[in-house]
Amino acid sequence: MWTGFGLSLVLAFVLQGAEWTVEPFILVDGLTQVMAVVVTFVSGIVHSFSRRYMAGARRLRGFYVQLFALTLVVLFLTATEHVFVFLVLWMVMGLLLARLIGHVRGWPEAQAAARYARGTFLAGSGALAVSMFLLVQNTGAVRVSQIVAGIESVPRWVLAVSIVLIVVAAMLQSALVPFHRWLLSSMTAPTPVSAFMHAGIVNAGGVLLARFAGVVFETHAAILLVFFVGAVTALAGQAWALVQANVKRQLGCSTTAQMGFMVMQFGLGFGAAGIAHLILHGFYKAYLFLNSGSVVETVAPPSMRPEPTGWVSTLASLATAVAGGAVFAWITGKSVLALDGGSLLVFFVVLAVLHATRTLLRRSGLPAATRAWVLPVVLLPALAMYGAVYNAVAWLLADLGALAFPSALTPLHWVIAAIFAIVYVGIDRGWHHSSTRLYVLLMNTSRPVSSTLLTRRDRYHVH
Amino acid sequence: MSIEISVLRGRIENAAEAVGPLWPLRTFNSANPLSGFESLPFHEAVQRAGHLFRGRGYPAPDVFRRAWERGDIDPEILQRQLRDAGHDLDPAAALDALPRHDSSPAEAEDERLNRIMSKWLAAFFDHGQAAWPMPNRSDGFFASWRILAPFDRGIPGIRQTSDLPSTKLDAFIETLDGVPEEEWETIFTHHLAALPGWVGLIRWQGRGTAGEWEKAKPITLGGYLAVRLTVARLLGEPLLPKDAPANGEANPDTQTLPAVVLAAWEETYRHRLIDDLTEPPSRPSVDGTDTRPDAQLVFCIDVRSEILRRHLEGLGPYETHGYAGFFGIPMEHESYAPGAGVGERVKACPPIVDPRHRIAERVAPGCEHEAEAYNDWAGIEGTRRTLLKTLKKDVAAAFGFVEGSGGFYGIAMALRTLLPHRVFDGLKSLREHLPGPSSFTEVTVDRPDTPDPDDALPLGLSPEVKIVYAEAAFRLMGWTDEFAPIVVFTGHGSQTPNNPFKSSLDCGACAGNPGGPNARVLAAICNEPAVRDALRSRGIHIPEDTVFLAGQHNTTTDEVTLFVDDEDPPVDPGALERLRDDLAAARNGATAERVSSMDDRMWADATRETERRAADWSETRPEWGLAGNAAFIVGPRRLTRNLDLRGRSFLHSYDWRVDDSGTALETILTGPLVVGEWINMQYYFSTVDNAVYGSGSKVTHNVSGKVGVVQGNGGDLMTGLPLQSLYMDDEVPFHDPLRLFAVLHAPVERVEMILNRQDTLKRLFDHGWVALAIMDPEENDRVMRYQPGGSWAPMSVDEQPAAAVLPDA
Repeated sequence: MWTGFGLSLVLAFVLQGAEWTVEPFILVDGLTQVMAVVVTFVSGIVHSFSRRYMAGARRLRGFYVQLFALTLVVLFLTATEHVFVFLVLWMVMGLLLARLIGHVRGWPEAQAAARYARGTFLAGSGALAVSMFLLVQNTGAVRVSQIVAGIESVPRWVLAVSIVLIVVAAMLQSALVPFHRWLLSSMTAPTPVSAFMHAGIVNAGGVLLARFAGVVFETHAAILLVFFVGAVTALAGQAWALVQANVKRQLGCSTTAQMGFMVMQFGLGFGAAGIAHLILHGFYKAYLFLNSGSVVETVAPPSMRPEPTGWVSTLASLATAVAGGAVFAWITGKSVLALDGGSLLVFFVVLAVLHATRTLLRRSGLPAATRAWVLPVVLLPALAMYGAVYNAVAWLLADLGALAFPSALTPLHWVIAAIFAIVYVGIDRGWHHSSTRLYVLLMNTSRPVSSTLLTRRDRYHVH
Repeated sequence: MSIEISVLRGRIENAAEAVGPLWPLRTFNSANPLSGFESLPFHEAVQRAGHLFRGRGYPAPDVFRRAWERGDIDPEILQRQLRDAGHDLDPAAALDALPRHDSSPAEAEDERLNRIMSKWLAAFFDHGQAAWPMPNRSDGFFASWRILAPFDRGIPGIRQTSDLPSTKLDAFIETLDGVPEEEWETIFTHHLAALPGWVGLIRWQGRGTAGEWEKAKPITLGGYLAVRLTVARLLGEPLLPKDAPANGEANPDTQTLPAVVLAAWEETYRHRLIDDLTEPPSRPSVDGTDTRPDAQLVFCIDVRSEILRRHLEGLGPYETHGYAGFFGIPMEHESYAPGAGVGERVKACPPIVDPRHRIAERVAPGCEHEAEAYNDWAGIEGTRRTLLKTLKKDVAAAFGFVEGSGGFYGIAMALRTLLPHRVFDGLKSLREHLPGPSSFTEVTVDRPDTPDPDDALPLGLSPEVKIVYAEAAFRLMGWTDEFAPIVVFTGHGSQTPNNPFKSSLDCGACAGNPGGPNARVLAAICNEPAVRDALRSRGIHIPEDTVFLAGQHNTTTDEVTLFVDDEDPPVDPGALERLRDDLAAARNGATAERVSSMDDRMWADATRETERRAADWSETRPEWGLAGNAAFIVGPRRLTRNLDLRGRSFLHSYDWRVDDSGTALETILTGPLVVGEWINMQYYFSTVDNAVYGSGSKVTHNVSGKVGVVQGNGGDLMTGLPLQSLYMDDEVPFHDPLRLFAVLHAPVERVEMILNRQDTLKRLFDHGWVALAIMDPEENDRVMRYQPGGSWAPMSVDEQPAAAVLPDA
């Protein structure tokens, strides 16, 4: 797998985003190169990690074969624009993943989780198949670029149905609301599989959107739909994560949210930002999953409320946050003043910096001098790192023009931005604590499928 | 209908006996999962518990078969055991006839009930995972559930809170209406045993040691039952499902067969051990009488100590002793906290002992500079952790955070996965550059002049108590005559990252914490002139030049760290240097031995391999912990010196000659031995049925609420040890599931006197939970075996076998 990682690095350097094709099945473009580097890296980590972690497990060969096969399938999936090949790989990917979720064969709850995931993936493949059928039927082309070229000839309603089905397939794969349940029920998978799943496989929804960007982002309504679905998921996922008591489900909810944000970035016309997000989130989430055994510690019972900060420090944080946002905008070449989709992304960075600054200022244990230098020391490398990844991705994806489009801010965007701002303030002030109804709603809507819960331990089996 | 509260409470308490308490992961305590059945004979207990929890009580046939093929079951002994139990089978046929466990579990009738309960219990028992915990927890489980229930779609017929009983008592009155009181206990037992993991945690909280969380979220068995029975009523579920399979219909022959084979396996081990003890390869002639040793080291009785002790003794004039790893100090340890912070307080004594003192770490005089450097670092580290935590969880900030930090996580992931050795080195050099609190703090053994009235546990020890603890240590170990220039009390702890079960590898006598702080306390006490004077007047003469040091044995890497100020060592630097060199050499020997038991590969540098295991985040088997434990030997070290006990024996030092009254032996038997039995039974049952009594494979573990693990998506909490602590791979156990064998080097009258005084202890032997033998020093070390009921029989293969620990079938 590490050889694969080396190869994909070399490939990316050699091709530098240019295309290389084997007609008609293989197309290696910027997207392929980016994804190849990332997928082989995460897969390499997961393979190496499993050497010790899975030591002594039964059917270890099968485990590695499936993991390796899954990696290959994902690689090829990003390296084709032939719709039939894509479709077949899509389906195989789902089936392999479902098998790994149910890796523990003798454990009925794991099998139930696998069944549920398999059903979800087959539904996604079905949606994709119908959509492909409609598009191929109407354009006579079997490659995405040709379909895009002939998109004019497709009747409006057919196009609309196709787009919706592609979006639905992406939502199923990336566990977006309301299709998040398979992901939150997938913790029966061995930890390394979860790491790979949350860092690699769920991203396939994003890859699908990127590959079919020329079709999906044809219409304004579709763009808004993608944005809306992403925003709702981002919000719901983070809200679910608030109430989870077990670490893996908490991570699962967070994945759902991050996938939502990624899709939202697509919907804002920043496909490269979406891909960069998907990569960075992959690293982040794989790490947290592999490290999920570390959460045992003693924590004091929560005190009632954090004390509110004074005006001075609030203003100071706000200023820092805006400065951070400006640096971010400058690094990624976004315009703040244009008030387009890019401004909305800057807005999220501002929120993050704001939150970091305020947390820092609240820590009275730290000397003031330390507080002053810690922030830039932490913030600047973080922004620089993001900038580097973003610019590399943008550079490699330069050819995929359909991913980048200007999007004016509609009232919908303003509403979403306002909701995020309100939620941020609300949680900071602890308003949510007063709503028991909301708590129960969040608990119940983020439950795994009930047949996957191990309520009787004699049903558990290790292999 | 009205209910007498005291009656109800009594019934609940009786019913709850069936479910053993479960400690949170942070302070993992070994406990017999069948502790509630210990008043019964072993065979009957496993039958009853098996019926209740659907767990297996004896090892599986293939475990026996492997032991048989390895030669660990003596055919002659098995043959005799079979004959005595009335089986007309030869050994091979008996192994073939072992019954297989029915592995097709039936659907439970109250699955829905279990799901609802485990959902709210998981939310309730969340010690800091969720940013938004269950509301109103401080009102108790029943009250907080009552507020939530109307919004829970899973329960029909509740539209508002007033549809539910307003108190726990009302809930019982409503549900038990018309149910005769004799049936209550059966009903309660069924519902408590349905979720043994969560109920075990409730029982832990009921012990009153949960501290702050107990106040923050009170929960009782009554609260649990009130909710559960109310939900059962609303769901229309029967109070007592009919799906419990009838028991006792199986052929009694096949039922007792596993017990017989197990007994034969145990007897084989025990006879070989006794043979070794009575005919050691070369009994040392020195016996420590003519020359004064260079140093004496006291280790925990833990089975892991034996390996290192043996290797160290082989290297020079060293003597070692075994003592319970909390060093007899019933304390709560408050770790050092920078600045004005309050350090984490943990109980640091065995589960059967309540802490009586609080010992805090305070900056030692002259070390303010080091403390400051540490404080600065700790401040930044603390901020980093807080930042990460809050950014991760914030609804809006999380997205920007992921983008900013993702790259760093990628780098860290690659380093930790690909270069675990370097991670170990990095941690080590960090510790060298920035020494931890143990290097610049001292323990508060003295009472402060102005005691803190708010604290339930007084800080420090009074002068009288210090003498008591010091004397108790030497009396229990029977160590009153000779003291070397250096005496080291060595606690132990493990080193393992990313491991929810770390605490299970730490010192069991310190409530799953490292034993270093306790060692420091005892060493500090023993160095006080006042204490030494008092000891002298009681017949324990400690020479002027003897210095007591504290140390900690890292059981993962076998490194022993001595807590000594190197710039101003209290002992001869040359001697200290020699001791350190020999400890390092002993370490190499010990790691070579241990690594070969963990891995088939030949390691050129076993010590390096243990360092990798200590730092590798993907390692599920950092060390074997107490796996293999099978014997508990109480006696002087000369009995076992030069014997390779393969890390399977607890070793408690004891000298019968200085314990005429038997109080020391009585303390050992009712304290350390009982804890040894808990540990042994936990290893036994977790191995025998890893699903029901253990916690399953780490590979699919999911930590819930920072207190326990669930498997996969959740459900009941898992209890006991994980598969990887006990098994070589998914199928072959490393741990031999044998019951503990106690060997006492003491006169028979003395042991009998103690047994007659200690009913609970005697019952453990009578009912076959622990086997007992003595080597009677008044009869030329003749080995006598305790027989259930109270008689003694000689233990020799030729003479007569121990009666099988079976009921009269």
